[in-house]
Amino acid sequence: MEPDAPTNALMQMLYDSGVASAIRESGSLFPMLESLHVLMIAVVVGTIAIVDLRLLGIASHRRGARQLTLDMLPFTWGAFVLALVSGSLLFVSNATKYFDSMPFRFKLLTILIAGINMAIFHVTAYRKIGEWDDRLPTPPAARIAGFTSLTLWIVIVFLGRWIGYAAPLV
Amino acid sequence: MTIDQFSRTIYESAISTGIRDVSWIIPAVQSIHILGVAGVIGAAIVMDLRLAGVLATDETPQAVVRRHLPWMWSALALLLSTGFLLGLGEPDRVLGNMVFWIKMGLVVSAFILTVLFRYPILHPDYRIEHARMAMLVKPMAWGSLAIWAAVIFCGRWIAYTQ
Repeated sequence: MEPDAPTNALMQMLYDSGVASAIRESGSLFPMLESLHVLMIAVVVGTIAIVDLRLLGIASHRRGARQLTLDMLPFTWGAFVLALVSGSLLFVSNATKYFDSMPFRFKLLTILIAGINMAIFHVTAYRKIGEWDDRLPTPPAARIAGFTSLTLWIVIVFLGRWIGYAAPLV
Repeated sequence: MTIDQFSRTIYESAISTGIRDVSWIIPAVQSIHILGVAGVIGAAIVMDLRLAGVLATDETPQAVVRRHLPWMWSALALLLSTGFLLGLGEPDRVLGNMVFWIKMGLVVSAFILTVLFRYPILHPDYRIEHARMAMLVKPMAWGSLAIWAAVIFCGRWIAYTQ
């Protein structure tokens, strides 16, 4: 990575901010934020997996795929927002080092791809969900979306865990 | 044999050394462990919120538990086996650690709550309003969710305590 002066200055500014030093200086804030982050990731991945498995054709607690998605979506999004907030706070606490971490960069990229995959699903197979809502097996487009999403979120969990091991982050 | 000696014996064993010698094993097993946590939490959210009367109330508790309980058991089996491997690799990190034992206590209580309040539901004649301890079903559902959340917090705190 070439040195990028404005970005590095921004990362240094985040690192020097009051929030960041408060997290670094407190013995318990960082682990508390990490715990919240893991809990929210568990909710995001757990609820997404339930929908993805249904898209792959595994029956869930209700017949309709559409209503199942609507059941799970508020939990997925609520937890995603809290994971984003706790993750951002963890990031600023050591912005300069996390910014340079390759697993961190790949994790964000993979989350972006998972978002794109979801968007594609919503404008393709989901548009016609009336035709396959309570039908099993599911159409190929839904199966591909479910498989892709499940794979990407598994990768995201691995990349997240690797952030803590790949670089000596103090 | 004290717990410290026991921990040291495991630590010095060939399998424990082997786990530590390959740098990617522990983070990989930890990642699988987190995926297991996601499996338990997903199943717990749907079952407990159904029992709390919040989610999927148009479906019977039976239908919900029948679908999600087996997934919860599989996820718990995955957690037990990956957790065992992690403990084998780094026994000094957990065996003498109070937070680890609190976590195990919480896991056992969540497990007992799940068995007590889920299995009767699978019975074909089960009606939630006639259930023994019917008054307790809702508070227990919220309680079990809270315990799983506490388990996750303890799991992360193991890394910060002795």
